[in-house]
Amino acid sequence: MNKLYQIKHELWLDILFASFAVNDPVIKERLYDFSMIAFRHMKWLGGAILEAGDDYNYDRSKMLLKRNCNFDIFKYLIEEIKTAQTHYDDNVLMARISTDESYLVEYLSALLSNSANDAKVTAFNMHRKLPNKTLDVTQTDSLTIFLFEESYKEYELILVYAYMQARTDNLLHFNVFQDLIDESHFHLKSFGNMMAQMGILALPRELHELTYKVTDIEKFIINGIQEEENAKEECRALAEAVNDTELSQFFDFINYQENYHIELMKKLLK
Amino acid sequence: MNDKTELVENVDLPEGMNPEVLKHIMYPENYGKLETPDGTGVAMDEKTGEFVIFTVKLGQESIEDVKFATNGCQDTVVVGSMFTEMIKGESVEYAKKAISKIEEKLGTLSAQQKICADMVFNGFIASLINVANLAQGEKEEMHVIKSEESCEITPQGEENE
Repeated sequence: MNKLYQIKHELWLDILFASFAVNDPVIKERLYDFSMIAFRHMKWLGGAILEAGDDYNYDRSKMLLKRNCNFDIFKYLIEEIKTAQTHYDDNVLMARISTDESYLVEYLSALLSNSANDAKVTAFNMHRKLPNKTLDVTQTDSLTIFLFEESYKEYELILVYAYMQARTDNLLHFNVFQDLIDESHFHLKSFGNMMAQMGILALPRELHELTYKVTDIEKFIINGIQEEENAKEECRALAEAVNDTELSQFFDFINYQENYHIELMKKLLK
Repeated sequence: MNDKTELVENVDLPEGMNPEVLKHIMYPENYGKLETPDGTGVAMDEKTGEFVIFTVKLGQESIEDVKFATNGCQDTVVVGSMFTEMIKGESVEYAKKAISKIEEKLGTLSAQQKICADMVFNGFIASLINVANLAQGEKEEMHVIKSEESCEITPQGEENE
């Protein structure tokens, strides 16, 4: 399978989870923007691989390592980008990817030149508390399980829909997949940042190819609709359980978004 | 492995969730796939599309290596992680009895968790059947055991640990 694709997949996750781990809101948002660019790199690379008659998968080999401070994260990202760039060929796509990444390296280097940008990373401290929230043990456990379940599920959906989008010639399907991918990016961002706030940031587990090599799309969509219904119920139950107006409103908001996901998915059955 | 353990052991966890369970959720053991397994088995819930897939490599007297993967819930991940941790390096006979020991670790399993545990165990058994079938000359990419019960969302009000 395509090793470069795996490197780009892992680099997307590196940048995305760095954005979750950093507390500074400006740096966090900037890294998140770069992670979305890295995701598009992945998408374009996947398309180029398929056009060349090759294939790729979602295998990974890296773990998310615990970092103690922002500067450790920035240095790690620079190293990983430079390592990735040693694998690039000489073509237009790789030139685009390379210039984007070089700009990110410049941004990270600029951050490293000012000690005010360094700070302790709290995303891995396991304290399981949200700022300004008082949740009891049961509520905290429910929220913890929900965040692990749903962060994996959103990661899974992004990759499964991207895999299917790359292989469809149907414009309606392509657009629906894009909407669903965009929606899941937002959910993953929301849950990832919440996990970091609770000190339980961890990578979603790797996808097995049985998950994304879909042979029966209709059955996959019907199962997917049922999963969305289940997710809605999870959100509804959590909104009720947390007993906090702000959190309840957030989980209700996610719950209502699932309704439209179901409508989008139904379009794939037509 | 040590790094993963340290992540949990070097901090004070608040009361509530079993720290070992949290460790298995965040850093599941033996997760993924073996590149050159002796056998591959899947427990498949056709109703929901959920699966647990095992790849195993058997030595003369023990399970040399084992990995699992799933698109299922966190209970399935926790049981799969604990189960593979228990059976790696042990005999097949020990492994066949090991799933009941999970209950000792986790306490009484809910009906939903029991179905997840069955999915894990069936995935493992399917991989052993695949080993046997391949040894008999059958051309079977993987052996599939279809699940009779589904691990679906717990109805409102029912306990779901």
